[in-house]
Amino acid sequence: MRLQSKLALFSAVSKVIILLLLVVGLPLLVNKVALLNADERLLQKEEKMYKIIEEQGIESFITEETGDAYGSYNLFREEFISLEEISSGKVVNSIENSLRKVDNEIVNYRVLSSTFDLGGKRYLLEIGRSLATIENNSQTLQTYALYFLAAVVLLTVFTDLAFSKILLRPLTLIVKRLQRIEHPSTFTPKELNTNTTDFLYLNNTINAMMGQIQEAFQKEKEFIGNVSHELLTPVSILQSRLENLLSDPETPDAMLEKLVDNLRTLHRLKSIIQALLLISRIENEQYLRNETLDIPQLTKEVAEEIKERAEAREINLQVEMESEYTLYKANQSLLFTMLFNVVNNAIKYNKPGGTILIKGQSTPEGYELSINDTGVGIAQEQLPHIFNRFKRLHAPDGESHGLGLTIVNTIANFHGIEVAVQSTVGEGTTFNFQFPKGNLPDSMAFSTNWAQSRN
Amino acid sequence: MHTLIVEDETSLATELMHFLAQEHYICDWASNGREASEKIAVNRYDFILLDLGLPDYDGLDLLKETKSADHDPAIIILTARGALEDRIKGLGLGADDYLPKPFSLLELQARMQAVLRRKFKIKSSSVAFHGFEMDSSTRRVTFGSQEIVLTKKEFDILHYLLLHKNRILTRLQLTEHIWGNILEDDYDSNYIDVHIKNLRKKLSAHIPTDWLETVRGVGYRLTL
Repeated sequence: MRLQSKLALFSAVSKVIILLLLVVGLPLLVNKVALLNADERLLQKEEKMYKIIEEQGIESFITEETGDAYGSYNLFREEFISLEEISSGKVVNSIENSLRKVDNEIVNYRVLSSTFDLGGKRYLLEIGRSLATIENNSQTLQTYALYFLAAVVLLTVFTDLAFSKILLRPLTLIVKRLQRIEHPSTFTPKELNTNTTDFLYLNNTINAMMGQIQEAFQKEKEFIGNVSHELLTPVSILQSRLENLLSDPETPDAMLEKLVDNLRTLHRLKSIIQALLLISRIENEQYLRNETLDIPQLTKEVAEEIKERAEAREINLQVEMESEYTLYKANQSLLFTMLFNVVNNAIKYNKPGGTILIKGQSTPEGYELSINDTGVGIAQEQLPHIFNRFKRLHAPDGESHGLGLTIVNTIANFHGIEVAVQSTVGEGTTFNFQFPKGNLPDSMAFSTNWAQSRN
Repeated sequence: MHTLIVEDETSLATELMHFLAQEHYICDWASNGREASEKIAVNRYDFILLDLGLPDYDGLDLLKETKSADHDPAIIILTARGALEDRIKGLGLGADDYLPKPFSLLELQARMQAVLRRKFKIKSSSVAFHGFEMDSSTRRVTFGSQEIVLTKKEFDILHYLLLHKNRILTRLQLTEHIWGNILEDDYDSNYIDVHIKNLRKKLSAHIPTDWLETVRGVGYRLTL
């Protein structure tokens, strides 16, 4: 998940949790506040009542006609005031919930009870407020509070999202820049336009790291060049010396065969060095991929070039190329070598009178080229290792250096071609090359991107 | 042909000089860039075989210097630096050919001959042998008025044998010549034998081909 999404998700989840806590806790809180409020009002009313009694005397409430009690309810039964004479031993001073019967209806009240002495008598004053009214108020309060909170949560989630997007823009830029690097040598260090020190630090670290990688690649490149010189020069000296001896009329005939043997060994050494250098150079991106190739055409050229070898072994070489396929950003000589090696192996390890079928067809994934032979096949346990340069397999002739298929694989990787091999011992081998789809030249890729960005 | 070999490896230079002297080239040797530069300034060479990896000079600089000299020798670059960019650079700076090390001396001679023909516009490219005539520019072989139809590889083998007449050519040398620089796991000498067999068949229809000898265990030789 992207960092930005994670931040937004965290912000949203944390706010929703707060909201839920409030939904659970708010009614209790609001009820408590409402009750405190109601109690406060009751206390104020009590104060007011005492003032009236003080001014007007208890007689204005309790008279001969009313007996020893006074009661008054307002219209909606929200509040009542009651005053009665009680026995002198009882002292009450409380605010609590209490059920009262009014007109045959039981109503829950918040009641303030207080006793006072006047004229040698003890009176009980009760002021009550209907709890229904209090709850009503608290519910309205809760509803509005919830609406408000939900709005706040939504607003903050969106602002967090927008802010994190702006905040993380340099990071997105760094990632895009890194994605564009095809090879370390194409990287150019750039400044980052931001005041977030962490991103500046990250950018500088990446620039420094890429610099080191570039340096390492450069060193490797020079190393390959030096090694090639150091190894190939003595081989060159030996080869020239042996050839001179071979053409010397004074060299005895018995020596000639030995010289030829030495030349063969030297040739083997030479081709191992050259194969390793080729692999190393391809992996080090020292080859250009700047050609546009018609793959069916190239395959036919390889077949044409190798035809005589197949004929010499009485092997039937068939080429069935369906449809067209163009590979952009390719290296012709490398791809030629790749196909040549595979077809050459198919000839070398075939049976006399055998067949080689080279088939090309368009597939939904791009283009598939298969080279099938009726040869000796490769043992199942060897199949996973045939492309591994460090796993030496013993070729049937004991002569080859075993790097031919590694070269094939390296060239395929260099061009983004997938290689698969199926083989049955005694029946034959099939090499499948899956060429990539949507392989566009730089100019076309640019115009497509441009068109997409406009859409 | 006056030839300058610019090569810092004494052994290789010695072998090159030995070989070229046999082929009647007159050779000079410079083991470093400074020496080469001096020699080029005072002598008029027909050929310069230039090693790019010199101890004191970048071979490409020497190449530039040579091209600005008042005479125009044919230049073949010999180098262990096989990278494509070096090759392009070398040819771009005016070298006539490029031969990566290690190379066969016979291949070098074939290249030198080709460069000479191209550079000095030698018109007569036909050679007569045992009643046949080979024209390397039109790639035709004739016997009297009759044309002998050869495949590309058969022609190349015959041409190479003729170029190095009276010399034993190993199957390996012939293979490298006709298949070029293709990297193979190993070479298969049988292909050469098949081509020679076919060549003999086509040529012996006109005249016995005992002059195209098989040297047992070694290779082939065209005697003239």
